[in-house]
Amino acid sequence: MFSHNRNGRRLLGGAAAALAAALLIAGCASTATTPTATTPDEGVAPADMIKIFMAPKFTGLAYFEVAKVGGVEAGEELGFDFQYIGSDQPDATTQISTLTNAIPQKPDALVVSAIDGDAIAPALKLAREAGIKVVTYDADSAVDARDLFINQLSYEFAASIMLDAALLNSPDGGLVGFISASPTAPNHTAHVKIMKELIDSDSKYSSLSYIDTVQFAGDDAQKSQDLALAMIQANPDLKVIISSSAVSAPSAQQAIVNAGLSGKVFATGFALPSSVKDFLKNGDSVAFALWDPAELGYVATVAAYQLATGMITAEEGQVIDAGKAGKYTVGKDGEVLYDKPLMFTADNIDNYDF
Amino acid sequence: MKLTLRSWRWELILVVLIIFAAIWSSTLSPYFLDPVNLLNSSQFFVIFSLMAFGLFPIVVQGEIDISLASTLAVGSVMIGKLAVSGIPMVVGLPLTLLVCAALGAINGILVAVAGLPSLVVTLGTLGAYRGIAFIIAGDIGVTGIPEEYLTLGSARVGIVPVSVILVVVVAGLLTVLMAFTRFGRYSYSIGSNHRASRMAGVPVAATRIGAYALGGASAGFAGLIWVAQYQSARGDNADGTILFVVTAVVLAGVSIKGGTGHAPAVLLAIVLLGTLQTGMKLANVPGTSQTLVIGSLLIISIGVPRLVEIARDKIAALKPAQETTTIKHVEVETRV
Amino acid sequence: MSAGIKTLTRRFSFTKGAGALRGRFIGVLVFLAMLIVVFSILNPRFLSFDNGRSILFTAAILAIAATGQSLVVLTGNLDLSVGSIMGLVAYVVFDISGKVPELQPFVLVIAILIGGFLGFLNGFFVSVLQIPSIVATLGTLSIYRGFVSFYGNAREITSGTLPPWMRELAMAIWLGLPAYVWVAFTVVIITGLTLRYHPWGRKLYAYGSNPEAAHFYGFSSTQIVTGAYTGAGIIAATGGLLLGAQVGNINSLLASGIELQVLAAVVIGGVSIWGGSGSVYGAAIGAVVLATINNGLVMVQVQEFYRLLIQGAAIILAVAVDALVQKRALGATTRRRIMEVES
Repeated sequence: MFSHNRNGRRLLGGAAAALAAALLIAGCASTATTPTATTPDEGVAPADMIKIFMAPKFTGLAYFEVAKVGGVEAGEELGFDFQYIGSDQPDATTQISTLTNAIPQKPDALVVSAIDGDAIAPALKLAREAGIKVVTYDADSAVDARDLFINQLSYEFAASIMLDAALLNSPDGGLVGFISASPTAPNHTAHVKIMKELIDSDSKYSSLSYIDTVQFAGDDAQKSQDLALAMIQANPDLKVIISSSAVSAPSAQQAIVNAGLSGKVFATGFALPSSVKDFLKNGDSVAFALWDPAELGYVATVAAYQLATGMITAEEGQVIDAGKAGKYTVGKDGEVLYDKPLMFTADNIDNYDF
Repeated sequence: MKLTLRSWRWELILVVLIIFAAIWSSTLSPYFLDPVNLLNSSQFFVIFSLMAFGLFPIVVQGEIDISLASTLAVGSVMIGKLAVSGIPMVVGLPLTLLVCAALGAINGILVAVAGLPSLVVTLGTLGAYRGIAFIIAGDIGVTGIPEEYLTLGSARVGIVPVSVILVVVVAGLLTVLMAFTRFGRYSYSIGSNHRASRMAGVPVAATRIGAYALGGASAGFAGLIWVAQYQSARGDNADGTILFVVTAVVLAGVSIKGGTGHAPAVLLAIVLLGTLQTGMKLANVPGTSQTLVIGSLLIISIGVPRLVEIARDKIAALKPAQETTTIKHVEVETRV
Repeated sequence: MSAGIKTLTRRFSFTKGAGALRGRFIGVLVFLAMLIVVFSILNPRFLSFDNGRSILFTAAILAIAATGQSLVVLTGNLDLSVGSIMGLVAYVVFDISGKVPELQPFVLVIAILIGGFLGFLNGFFVSVLQIPSIVATLGTLSIYRGFVSFYGNAREITSGTLPPWMRELAMAIWLGLPAYVWVAFTVVIITGLTLRYHPWGRKLYAYGSNPEAAHFYGFSSTQIVTGAYTGAGIIAATGGLLLGAQVGNINSLLASGIELQVLAAVVIGGVSIWGGSGSVYGAAIGAVVLATINNGLVMVQVQEFYRLLIQGAAIILAVAVDALVQKRALGATTRRRIMEVES
């Protein structure tokens, strides 16, 4: 029909594309000028102002958002530029891309929670070669890729805390089932392994037994629920479902409540207090555990700041003075144990607002 | 392949968009225009480029393969395991490529011989191959990879990473394959009309299986690059990245129904996506905005030209006078 | 075996209209039966009423989503944004109802409006702008999800702020089955009946079978496709709302990644990916199949690594069985018709 206008159509296509690009630019310029930085992103912060980036696993999870609060607070108190970077997708390659693109921005330190601790190592090493200090928190990377690791709870401590929570829910013990996030999450696999060992060997937990096969829910709420229900069906004696994942533990408990099994089966593990407040108050569950993510983020950021300003080095024995958050000593392999667990019960749940 | 300007229209649009994206990115962040940074950032997209190249012939034939990321995972853990067992790369790499090509061929056989829909088949193998990757990798994955397997991740020619050069070379090879070989011609023919192609004597099943095997092999090769760049391998490598690869192929103007598309456009599409992403990341644009931009790009890049065409059609329909002029023209010509 | 199928096909006339739909339906039932037999042998506990109820409960929301997706697939298109629509609706609606408790009785209405709008947008992109559905819904998948992330800003919605009546619905049991199962049942039946008896439903099938013929017949493809997507959006929104109430604590990632499961359910259920044939009942059964596999693998204590492998193989097997039954059924009847003509 318009064959004689084919050239015209081609030009129009090009113009349309240009228009599209212009629209994109216009539309995104408005969103791009709202970074979560505290200073404009032209890189013209005062030359002597320390710049620290915090990179969580991904930005969509409330847990990391709470940790960010701690980092922001550290920035305000100590007077440095704190920026929160990352993608909203729980994808290892995306996180690596975020970090690779963080390096040219020349921050003084990075505070990272790694999705894939080994895959992220080359990028972190590159950062260190560029003079950037690297501190990991919550989930470690390969040991030689970072300066310090602020570990919220040592794996042994974490395992025993979760078992304690299980006993609080079911004082007479019983059969325990595990839901983890993914077979490749090193902290979860370590937790489960140690929990099994403790149940086998420690007399304190002798009233507990466990299902050997571990289920994996990938931090997905719906999958956690379906798995919890299936586990209950497959193991009629199941008493407690334990999960290190702050998404899976409350979801499993919700599934138990939905199925009308409150009081017969319990779910516990690590969870944000806001997620489990109702369970504790209604008596569906007796105890959940965690730590203060804001304080963890605060300590990690302060440690990064002190490293960057040369106040401390990453050697064993160095002391990180985090002011009101306490003092922490650097241990072996640059690991710093935060070790301040919290046990939430119906009595104290109102004290926590995160 | 006719090399007229008209048939390269989409490539021109992409180039224009890339230029705009580059300008936009450099206004977003002063760090963007640094050549060293750009080359470092571009390394990140090597894996996706290879997968997109592997996907290209399959889509041209009118099919799809969403299991490529899982095949990559199998490739990466296989290479990892072979590497730490001391097997030299000259043996390990071909072996892995063979296995991945075989995985691809399984897809191809199910689609071409059993006649099952490719979306469903590759939906199944997406899970199945991911499971195989986990089984090979075990709990903790593989680390401590010997040096020789890591060369592609860090080697450079001057300041240009070897892996980036590799991408350009593969893009060139793909162009030659699709434009100048029988396989390429058959692929376009099958994509346009597979029944007619079969009747014309085109070996449809073999070409289909070939394309899938090639896709599997390129995913396996991307697995090698993964190991080289990230110096490790786990069962969940590249999980969820297939949507990005499909986005790249679609953005390259390859019709999802098959029969059209140019290989160089795939490289251009990745460059465009890379330019946008790198710019946004260098400026620490919030993750949610990044997702919005990429999603909008897909819709706008196809939707806006269509909108314009529709508008043109509507405007032209309001001018009946023009039609009589056209008829008169024809009459004059025939008389002469 | 083929004699039996011949009798079956003669009985249920698999060549004509509704009968052909039944043909595809049988395939998925056969596969489901196979699964039940295998799992029951491996663990007799599988066959208990309680477990069956559990499976149906976990299948309910997937069945609803699969029903909505079927509408779109029947027109020969895809809707990859279903997960994003579900997540967006659940988050936004429950966030609003948490802040404005007066709206709590109306959450379903608000959800339907939002879901319908999002679905309508999908339909607009696909039918008016003629963007291929994979591309368009891939784009809206990101856009809708990006919107939730943006809106939610990593804040979680806690179960305490949900409308109590929805929370109770998630826990309720009516006549021995969970309420959700009844709701899913209702959605599937209503959609199925609409497709079968309402003129628009028949137009949908006609268009899906042969878009050009439908066009010549005077059907507006824009109307049909946009309608299908809008319907899918509404149904997905309903599913999303129910999912949110079931999960309790909602973050901006809810239902992300569910689209592949929904597609699997639809295809396993015998809905042809090329459009025009299949039924929502099949899609719902497909959802039950997936739930059965997931449950069965836990019952049998299969390691996670093998679970992915088995699930993937099961999907392929299901489609293969479906294709086989389809071929057999058609083959048997076609032969018969040829013979009839000759004699």
